[in-house]
Amino acid sequence: MKRHLTGVIAAGLTVTLGLTGCSKGSSSGDSGDSKTIRFVAAIYDDKTKSLWDSLIKTFEAQNKGYKVNLEMVDWTQMDAKVKTYVQTKQTPDILNYNAFADFARDGLLFPTSDVLSPQVSSDILPSFVEGDKYKGTQYGMPLLSSVRLFFYNKDVFKKAGISAPPKTWDEVKTDAQKIKDKGGKGVFPLGLPLGAEESQAEFFMWAMNNGGGYVDQSGNWTIDSQANVDTLNYLKDLSKSGLTQPNPETTDRKDVFNEFAQGKIGMLNGAVFMPAGFINKVNAKLPYAVAPLPTKAGGTPSTLGVQDFLVAFKNGGGKKKDAVSKFLNFFYQTNNVANFQKEEGFLPVTKSAGDVISSAVPYDKPFIDALPNAKFYPTGNAAWGPLANTVKEKLGTAITGDPKSVLSELQQTAQKNG
Amino acid sequence: MHDTIEARGAGARSPAPASARRRNSRILRALAPLPWIGPAIILIVAVVLWPVVEMVWTSLMRISSSGATLGFRGTGNYHDLFGETDLVSVLLRTVVWVVGVVVVTIVVSLAIGQLLNANFPGRRVVRWAVIVPWAASVLMTALTWKWMLNYYYGVVNKVLKGVGLIDHSVNWLSNPTQALIWMMWVAVFVSLPFTSFVILAGLQTVPQEVYEAARVDGAGRARTYFRITLPLLRPALLVAAIINVINVFNSFPIIYAMTGGGPGSKTDTSTTFMYKLAFSGTGDVGESAAMAVVNFALILILVLLYLRAVGWRGEAQP
Repeated sequence: MKRHLTGVIAAGLTVTLGLTGCSKGSSSGDSGDSKTIRFVAAIYDDKTKSLWDSLIKTFEAQNKGYKVNLEMVDWTQMDAKVKTYVQTKQTPDILNYNAFADFARDGLLFPTSDVLSPQVSSDILPSFVEGDKYKGTQYGMPLLSSVRLFFYNKDVFKKAGISAPPKTWDEVKTDAQKIKDKGGKGVFPLGLPLGAEESQAEFFMWAMNNGGGYVDQSGNWTIDSQANVDTLNYLKDLSKSGLTQPNPETTDRKDVFNEFAQGKIGMLNGAVFMPAGFINKVNAKLPYAVAPLPTKAGGTPSTLGVQDFLVAFKNGGGKKKDAVSKFLNFFYQTNNVANFQKEEGFLPVTKSAGDVISSAVPYDKPFIDALPNAKFYPTGNAAWGPLANTVKEKLGTAITGDPKSVLSELQQTAQKNG
Repeated sequence: MHDTIEARGAGARSPAPASARRRNSRILRALAPLPWIGPAIILIVAVVLWPVVEMVWTSLMRISSSGATLGFRGTGNYHDLFGETDLVSVLLRTVVWVVGVVVVTIVVSLAIGQLLNANFPGRRVVRWAVIVPWAASVLMTALTWKWMLNYYYGVVNKVLKGVGLIDHSVNWLSNPTQALIWMMWVAVFVSLPFTSFVILAGLQTVPQEVYEAARVDGAGRARTYFRITLPLLRPALLVAAIINVINVFNSFPIIYAMTGGGPGSKTDTSTTFMYKLAFSGTGDVGESAAMAVVNFALILILVLLYLRAVGWRGEAQP
């Protein structure tokens, strides 16, 4: 009898621990010689892997004995993966991600000057370099950038009797209502992705055009500002009135981009890479056009600029510095980096690649023109990475809950982390 | 103990080789089982006890977001954990999740077990078919269901619209309540095979003579089932229930794959919530370990309460 109880408890312990016990991982990942590096890259679209594969093949052919192990991760999995890698000390040698400051704070990264040649460093566009720095030292290397603009479906607009894209939030709402009434069956007026994939971006784009945002001029967190609360209340109202796709709080960006590509969404905050990544694959003839983002009262529109980074981790005492540096300098050769950005449909981050792309891709012009008015995330703040993760997860709940309390909770998270 | 000391004292006063040899042989005899139970002890210490100690220890440490241990923190992590606004609803949801899934699983499995025990042509094929959800990876099953429930392309909406149960598509996994119900259904689906087979095994241990005696005494079908079959199934039900409670409580892949616990943490159970504390948001492994300790205590309490409720002591005694 007693033995039964012990057995049950032991079984309980074993099964329970199957999950709960793994809080500390072993520190592997330094395996291999100093000429083999591990590169974790994000999947931007279907082409990303083959682009990296061919770059790596060329690199390995040019540098005998060096090897790059590529690992592709989907953006929806990226945050959890990176967290796991860092916490279990299995960091890759090179990581493609959208934040770096907390790694820099913890001394995990090579400063850029250690791994990039001076030519490459001076080739990076100055507007990005500021966001690459943590406390004055550059750690992030911009891989690509994107700028967001307002996309609309010309056919849907015509059917609904809308002559010009909306410039103010009131116009957005009335136009959305027109689309709902006359824009065609099964067409959602406005695509509003506030799901976990990228709600921090969608929210920021609306908020900044209402004078809101994450930080003020001097870098203090202003997440619970009145402007931000008003923004969420406006978006919540649009969703409640049935003017967006259902359940913005669980809709990911890729869902609405896909729906737009299929002609099932009237308008949305699109991105420079949407044609290459989504539209051309489904319907290259989709009659879409781009316009500046609508603002609350018709002021000067600003937009979101995003740079994604490459960062180099100091693994195993930095014994792979040479290999990492070789690969990075190889990638930033004008043709390699320009080809990558062009194929992926992103904007250039280096001067030399910019010259190549702007003459080759006329579509990019409105986006490049929007860059001077673009606002970036506070990527140089070490609290940004963790905060962005929390925002992604929680912001959408404002659509069904209370915007003010959601935002003040996020404000507390930001302040707690610095 | 007392004997040993005396023996040693006697040995010291007048060195007697005989008593020393006797002492040695007694120790040897006491140690004799060790080679046989030693591996099991090592296993339990390494796989059960050490992680428990490590888990509790971690829950008392301050750990940075990049995984570095920054020192002792006392009960700070627990303080943070109990300050989480979502914690209460997550715990309540966990209870609903565990009780709901286990009860439905067992009730349905009783029927399936009975079916599998009956004699009919093709029984072997049906038995194999019931095993399939068990053989398939839970993650795969969950992802398949996620796609079937997709708002834009899912087959569930198409079928339900086709038969006229709903007029327009429903975004099943976005409404927390509906999502939870669907995930509980998937959890039941993957728990059925194991449970049915445990019950089938239990049914096969019931001797035919008892049924014959019941028939002779004129007991009807319902009476036979509730007065004979069910009571004799109690050991099997006990095993099935406990293992299911533990499994379902710890179930991670279904929720993680289907909703990720979202929106926010509105479909999290304490297991997925624990994962999120460590690996998403601000990523606090210490606080997550505190949640793990709470989970661990909960599951032990749950199992002990269950054993008490079913009068386990009387039951195990043949």
